[in-house]
Amino acid sequence: MNWSLFFGELVSGLTLGSIYALIALGYTMVYGILKLLNFAHGDVYMVGAFIGFFILQWLGGPLKPVVTGWLAVAIMFAVAMIGCGALGVGIERFAYRPLRNAPRIAPLISALGVSIFLQNSALLLWGPQFRDYDTFDLVGVKSYHIGQNFFISNIQILTISVSIGLTIALTLIVSRTRTGKAMRATSFDRDAAEMMGISIDRVISFTFFLGSALAAAGGIMFGLVFGQIFSLMGFTAGLKGFTAAVVGGIGSIPGAVVGGFLIGLLEAFATGYLPGGSVYANLYVFALLIVMFLIRPSGLLGSPVIQKV
Amino acid sequence: MKKVVIAAVLAAIVAVLATAAWGSTTGASKVASVANADTALVKCGKTRSIGLLAPITGPAASLGLPQVHWANFYKNTYNRTHKKKIKLVPEDTMLGSANGTAEAVKGAQALGSNAAVLGVVGPAGSNEVKATTGALKGAGLGWVSGSATNTQITLDGTRTGFFFRTVPPDSSQSKSVTAYITGTLKLKRVYIIDDQEAYSTGLADEVQAQLQAKGVTVGRDGVSQQQSDFTSLINKIPRNTQLVYLPWQLPPKGKAFGQQMKSLGRAGVKLMGSDGLFDPLFSSLGNNVYDSFFPLNPADKRVAAFTKIHKSSELFGAPSYVATQVVTGAIDRACKNGTASRAEVRAQIKRTNILAATSLLGLQVKFDKHGDMVKKPFGIYHSVKGVFVRVA
Repeated sequence: MNWSLFFGELVSGLTLGSIYALIALGYTMVYGILKLLNFAHGDVYMVGAFIGFFILQWLGGPLKPVVTGWLAVAIMFAVAMIGCGALGVGIERFAYRPLRNAPRIAPLISALGVSIFLQNSALLLWGPQFRDYDTFDLVGVKSYHIGQNFFISNIQILTISVSIGLTIALTLIVSRTRTGKAMRATSFDRDAAEMMGISIDRVISFTFFLGSALAAAGGIMFGLVFGQIFSLMGFTAGLKGFTAAVVGGIGSIPGAVVGGFLIGLLEAFATGYLPGGSVYANLYVFALLIVMFLIRPSGLLGSPVIQKV
Repeated sequence: MKKVVIAAVLAAIVAVLATAAWGSTTGASKVASVANADTALVKCGKTRSIGLLAPITGPAASLGLPQVHWANFYKNTYNRTHKKKIKLVPEDTMLGSANGTAEAVKGAQALGSNAAVLGVVGPAGSNEVKATTGALKGAGLGWVSGSATNTQITLDGTRTGFFFRTVPPDSSQSKSVTAYITGTLKLKRVYIIDDQEAYSTGLADEVQAQLQAKGVTVGRDGVSQQQSDFTSLINKIPRNTQLVYLPWQLPPKGKAFGQQMKSLGRAGVKLMGSDGLFDPLFSSLGNNVYDSFFPLNPADKRVAAFTKIHKSSELFGAPSYVATQVVTGAIDRACKNGTASRAEVRAQIKRTNILAATSLLGLQVKFDKHGDMVKKPFGIYHSVKGVFVRVA
């Protein structure tokens, strides 16, 4: 057994899975409340990565930031999460709300339209070039090792920790706050919740804000770990996040996190162990999606929908 | 109701047949227009147009812009000293973008249908050369690339007489790389990662075969050009690997790979890129970085003049200067009687002979029957304080 390879892929998978989990949370929350697959979510993640990049430039760039590297990272997270939260609210207000009572295919098409709009706007505004976070210059990447076989970098630790921290914060918001209770009520029965005096519009806007903010955090984490961002990065990441949400059980917050980590680990171990894995890792990931649909359509932690007849 | 359905079906059949007939007519006229494009005489006039296919934007823009700069540098130099002027007609190929070579094909089609264009400089990538062959050859255009190095694109016979290049092929590059790894660095364990493109897999295959023939243990893998996460792949590289060879086209990806190697505690492993990674982004990774590149003459006064204008030598683009020089010279000769056809320009490209003493490349530019330069050495460079310095 090559333990070095095993632990290496484990850390890579958890890092990648952290990013997928954050994207999947946005998909699952919006689906839970609106029963809508928000296909623009991957592009919100891309916008978050770019907001982080431009904030970094505004702070003087990675070589000479006007604040310390870690403070710059914190500011990038904060601004990008607020910016993307606002973007998510805007998308819901103008692209989905007018279609709330339309047939279910209409908002789905609208979501695809928003995705293409965001992608092409990014291409037009920022060009198709890769933008470099230069994490080495910004925070100084350090690699830690335990024994001969276990290696992890400070950026990987940060990514996994931030992801777990944000998931816990989200869980607390949903389970312990009045707004969270309103979200759960809306998800359970929108009409009944409205009759109980809950402002549905406000709850839905807040859900979009949270989901988009989490996607922005994922985008910045991608830039920090892998060094570069580009305007088309949201498409594949969005698909993986969606797959993670489905595998975990769409509508389930713990399911999204489990699905995200599962997809990340599968991708990493497929690259490390399976033939042609580094080229065909996506094949294995999407094959899992198909298998999951066949065996357990409601996902790992999703509950089967019971229909009255 | 039944009659309405029958009428609708009949109308649809008629429409399909009419469309097919129209398509076959336009197809015939296309064939005629291709033949015309090849031999049609164009009045040379005071300004002659040359197409320029390059990745002006996109992931490989850092390679394409130097090519555009060097081509424009030649154009400006030429126009200052000649009464007849040349004009470059740029088309962006967006090499490495998500839609593959579609943009390159679109650009080639646009140049083909522009009657004023007599020859083309570019495109940059070997896969783009393959993809644009139909459009350029169909329009009768001769084209000269300053960076497409895949060995087979001149030898497979598909574009003989149409395609030429002012860079040595991979077969030459692979020999220089193998000789340096085994002879100078004396390494025994090498890992090769291609980026799944024609240029990359071709060069990787050649280097792998030559290294194995010399007793080197070689591991092999591939990644997609769209990929940014290399950590899982890096974990696979055996710990005792001495050098990772990356015959890639996109310097930002090369830099990301090097940074991820460092972050995973692999900073000690040497990295060697191919001409596609000959870029400050890659050399900035540190002193364990090597690269192979064209045998330019850095002392040439044209390099100094270019550097003065652009604040950087951008040497990757220099063969595009020579490519522009080749096409311009061919058009000049074909235009001696005031008119020229694309076929005449192609014939003149074949007859190019720029002597070593005046060539920016530092070697004679003359093409063999396949469209390759007769002399084709390759140099090896080492990153010293973030800048590539020639070592072999």
